[in-house]
Amino acid sequence: MSGRFLRWVGYGIAAIAVAFAVVLASRFGTDPGLVDSPLLGEPAPAFALSPLEGGEPVALEELKGDIVIVNFFASWCLQCRAEHAALTSTADAFAGQGVTLVQIGYQESPPASIDYLELAGRSESALYLADPGSRAAIAYGVFGIPETFFIDEEGIVVGKIIGESDALVLGATIDAIKRGERPGQSVTGDTSQRPED
Amino acid sequence: MLAFLGSAGMLVAVFGAGLLVWRGVAAARGDGAGDLIGAARVLIAGAVVAMGAMVIALLVDDFSLVYTANHHAAATPFPFNVATAWAALEGSIVLWGLVLAGYTWFVAARYRRSPDRLGAASLAVMGVVAIFFFGLMATVANPFEVCVEAAEIGCVESSWWPFAAADIPSDGPGPNPLLQNHLMMAIHPPILYLGYVGMTVPFAYAIGALALGVAGPEWLRRSHRSTVVAWSFLTLGILLGGWWAYEVLSWGGYWAWDPVENASLMPWLVATAFLHSGIVQQRRNMLQAWNLILVISTFSLTILGTFLTRSGTINSVHSFTQSAIGPALLGFLALTLVGSFLLFATRAEVVATSGRAKTFVSREGAFLINNLLLTIYAFVVLIGTTYPLILEAFTGTQVGVGEPFFNRLAVPLSFLLLLVMGFGPITPWGEAPPGLLWRRTRNPVVVALAVGLAAAALVTRNGWVVLSITLGVFVIGSIVGLLFEQAGKRVAKTDQRLGQAIRAVLTGDGAFWAGQLSHVGVVLVAIGIAFAANLGTHLEVDLEPGGSVEFEGYTIVYESPFQQSHPSKTTIGSRLSVLRGDRLVTIAEPAVNIFNDTAVPTPEVLHGPGGDFYITLLDIPSPESATLTLDTSPMIWVLWLGGLTTVAGGFLAMRARRHERRPAPEPRAIDV
Amino acid sequence: MSDGPHRNLERSMSERLRNVVTVTVVAVMAVTLVTLVVTDRSQPDRVQSIGQRIKCPVCQGESIANSPSAMARDMMDVVAEKVAAGETDDAIIDELLGSFSGAVLLDPPAAGSTLVLWLAPAIALMLGVVVIVWWRKHPTEHRPSPRPRARRIVPIALLAVAFGTIVVVAGSFLQDRAGPASGVAAIDTENLDDVSNETMKAVIAANAGHPEVDGMRLALAQRYFDANDYRLAFPHYLAVAQSPDATDTQAVTALVRLGWMAWDGNAEVETALELFDEALAIDEGSVTARYLKAQVLWCGAGDLDEAETLMQDILIDPDLPVDSREQVRREIEAIRAGTACK
Repeated sequence: MSGRFLRWVGYGIAAIAVAFAVVLASRFGTDPGLVDSPLLGEPAPAFALSPLEGGEPVALEELKGDIVIVNFFASWCLQCRAEHAALTSTADAFAGQGVTLVQIGYQESPPASIDYLELAGRSESALYLADPGSRAAIAYGVFGIPETFFIDEEGIVVGKIIGESDALVLGATIDAIKRGERPGQSVTGDTSQRPED
Repeated sequence: MLAFLGSAGMLVAVFGAGLLVWRGVAAARGDGAGDLIGAARVLIAGAVVAMGAMVIALLVDDFSLVYTANHHAAATPFPFNVATAWAALEGSIVLWGLVLAGYTWFVAARYRRSPDRLGAASLAVMGVVAIFFFGLMATVANPFEVCVEAAEIGCVESSWWPFAAADIPSDGPGPNPLLQNHLMMAIHPPILYLGYVGMTVPFAYAIGALALGVAGPEWLRRSHRSTVVAWSFLTLGILLGGWWAYEVLSWGGYWAWDPVENASLMPWLVATAFLHSGIVQQRRNMLQAWNLILVISTFSLTILGTFLTRSGTINSVHSFTQSAIGPALLGFLALTLVGSFLLFATRAEVVATSGRAKTFVSREGAFLINNLLLTIYAFVVLIGTTYPLILEAFTGTQVGVGEPFFNRLAVPLSFLLLLVMGFGPITPWGEAPPGLLWRRTRNPVVVALAVGLAAAALVTRNGWVVLSITLGVFVIGSIVGLLFEQAGKRVAKTDQRLGQAIRAVLTGDGAFWAGQLSHVGVVLVAIGIAFAANLGTHLEVDLEPGGSVEFEGYTIVYESPFQQSHPSKTTIGSRLSVLRGDRLVTIAEPAVNIFNDTAVPTPEVLHGPGGDFYITLLDIPSPESATLTLDTSPMIWVLWLGGLTTVAGGFLAMRARRHERRPAPEPRAIDV
Repeated sequence: MSDGPHRNLERSMSERLRNVVTVTVVAVMAVTLVTLVVTDRSQPDRVQSIGQRIKCPVCQGESIANSPSAMARDMMDVVAEKVAAGETDDAIIDELLGSFSGAVLLDPPAAGSTLVLWLAPAIALMLGVVVIVWWRKHPTEHRPSPRPRARRIVPIALLAVAFGTIVVVAGSFLQDRAGPASGVAAIDTENLDDVSNETMKAVIAANAGHPEVDGMRLALAQRYFDANDYRLAFPHYLAVAQSPDATDTQAVTALVRLGWMAWDGNAEVETALELFDEALAIDEGSVTARYLKAQVLWCGAGDLDEAETLMQDILIDPDLPVDSREQVRREIEAIRAGTACK
């Protein structure tokens, strides 16, 4: 009698083991660090940050009515450097078309960011802001950089790009928002989290 | 040349393992005795050559090997250059293989040639495991591939053919800076592996016994010594890991419920249960089903642990990158679990033993409760670690499961275990005569409560600390009481003096008392953790040169920043004077080591009888200010002392004269 | 001995007294102890305890309370601010989860999807107890039965099936994540309907020099061309024409457009004809180039013979689209008739 019981214990554990292995196997190829932003579809978190050079804080409120692209960057982030030209050219291309690019320094002192932008270039129509204490980064739930948020004309977060973006993705996202769509979140690659990455 | 040696070594090892399986199966079936020790020699020879080739390559900076090219740097000092052998994925598998070959050889050396089917079957199982690991080495995780296309640093493409035309890079990136900070890097992994891999031995014996359809305590008895050895090393390995983390990662860092730490804790918990439960089978021929399940689980958990840390499915500070090793390990894990339990199921009649504990108030009952508690504990750690994976697989949502969850469940379980630890050893086998337990516990209980009261009144009223002290004193009191009771009986019977009697009792049943020493160690660990986790204090402060801050009776004065350059790293630090009252205690120099681009903090630790005082330099944002954190970990030395005591108990048990453990069908009335 | 039972009675009475005293002492101490502990007034550090429940997003599993990283410290500052502002623990945690998602929570709530996590150990414990109790009530009956060889096959077959399942399933999940199509290389220049001019401008600006951007240039320039905005179209056509990486087709298209714009926009006949010749040098069979050259010869240069020859070559060229034949035929007749072109 107890022999039969043990037999079923044995089969049972073997079956659970198979199920367990299958579940673990399904996680291959997925990125354990990837998360979905809970901000999508929600009003964009407000911020009021001063430009890198100092001066009066710029509030997100003031940009309402435009499509706002909020991009977090730092000089030590390779992917940010790679996408910088695309961001600048997009800002230039859409200048005066109701699209504003806001680039916010992440975990970096303003002088370092300014030096970096000297080399990398700026767009006339874009805003470059400092984020002391990472308040904006925390409010936007930034896990690593670059992360780029798209806020529509009503101030709702409708898109997010994790990783390095390029002009096509940026432009296509803007086009989609102008058509009234909500592009959602997409991952284009890895992000950096600390200068040593 | 080294690539050839290494590859040849691996292949020889695979061949040896295959030979071992072939001959072992033949001998297990009864076709003669077979030269198993010869096969084991081939296996270990191959393993030694492979490891040797790797170490030599690291010592002579041979960058033609893809492993050296990708993980070693010429500037790495001794012993970190040797430790690079197990710093990265492929190398750590070579180490695993070497330790496995060593254990296999050890078991084969005791193989009695006259029909020893159990021994042969066990060796065959060990051979199968060896084939897997060395096969993994030879195919998917080959560190001896030759670099055929080099980058400036590191290797871009490699070939398995040892005589391929090598394109040798000028240098490699070097081991992860976090791994160069401390000597433990050279010591901790080998010790941990001696523990992990050692669990293969009892597993092999169990599978061998099942395969042959022979039940009974023989497989346990023969593998018991290996189990104790492996358990001791595993305990030591976990302790060293915790200590290393504490030294490098600072306060509270000794345990963070990190997936890799959990991966070592799970097999330890189940191995501890197995160790205890095995005693019951050897003495009373009971709990065989438990023992088989426990030992299969222990071995499987070592494989699962390896899988979790190597496959990239879970993030961890220990993470190695994703590679094809993950699926291979998962497949092996599945095969092990499914195969073992199917075997268990088909041999079910043989597995079930006849003995049943008459009552829970008995040594057998205590062990049974112990089994249950430890198994639940391991289960909690398992689901906590894997739940995020499982949930994401089914629903796509992400959750984090971390310290708060584990602490909430592990702490009560730990206290329950302490309780069992106090009652178990003083509960006799069979049925306890009425009043015996009361007589044995009343003094320890009184003393424990008294000490607890004193602690609550004089030291702290924190509930966890008081509870751990009270329970701890109870456990120690039980042990001491038992010792004196038995010594007292001896004195009454033989006229020995008390001291002699105590010594006689201790050596008379060395394994038992060694185990009690380990229990004392566990108690100390619990008390140490309770103090450090609950009564620690923390302060973050910015100081300018000349500025000072008062903390926990110390005064810290910031003197100046400093900078040093070394071949492989730059060190930025702050010089501080630490005073107690007016007396200068020491000059502290917490620093940050910068390797290439990675910054690794090196805190300054002041050890004292009251605990540790931790100063960590976080940042020097400007010459005018330094950001420091100050922490205390009270009584933390109790934790380390306890850990060492636990390990000491294990090693003593190895050497103890074996008390005759014959299964007695009729338990005597009072039997300790 | 006559006082044996008496001594036993004494001993058992003193034993009982001792027991009573012990129990009383134990009870008193225990109660005191519990009281002392429960009345412990030390305030837990709320910031630390909240911080222990939040994972640092840039670390591997550490809580923001324990991590030395800058981001963790900034987050602790935020928590400290909110605690000082009087928010409850749950509110603070909810706010952080609202930014980062549940993945930063180290302390899974005892509800919803994580309820299982809390229940499972309790269930396992109960199950264990039940099994142990049941097991004790059912002793093993030893009936060693010989196992027929046939029944050995079942477990081995099960093993093989199980293992096979795992291998297949694992393999099917082991696909490389396809990198998302982005960048210039992924542009399908035939399907740019949804892409705005600004986007194209941005892409071209960001990828100037990239060989694959020529297609996009042509597409954008075509839009300007169709809108008769030759001024905006011109630089892109020029860039393509001068690009060393442009394909022959692209170069020809660009040159042909440039030629037409030179004629149609600026009435520069010579320039136009040169451009058409350049195009024909690359692809002498280009119908478009010859056609437009013929048009310019006819309308601009007044070289009717040359124009007619070209048009007749085009008419018999199999590359000429069928629906255009009629128009070409009519224009040949118009040229022959000496009619001025429109």
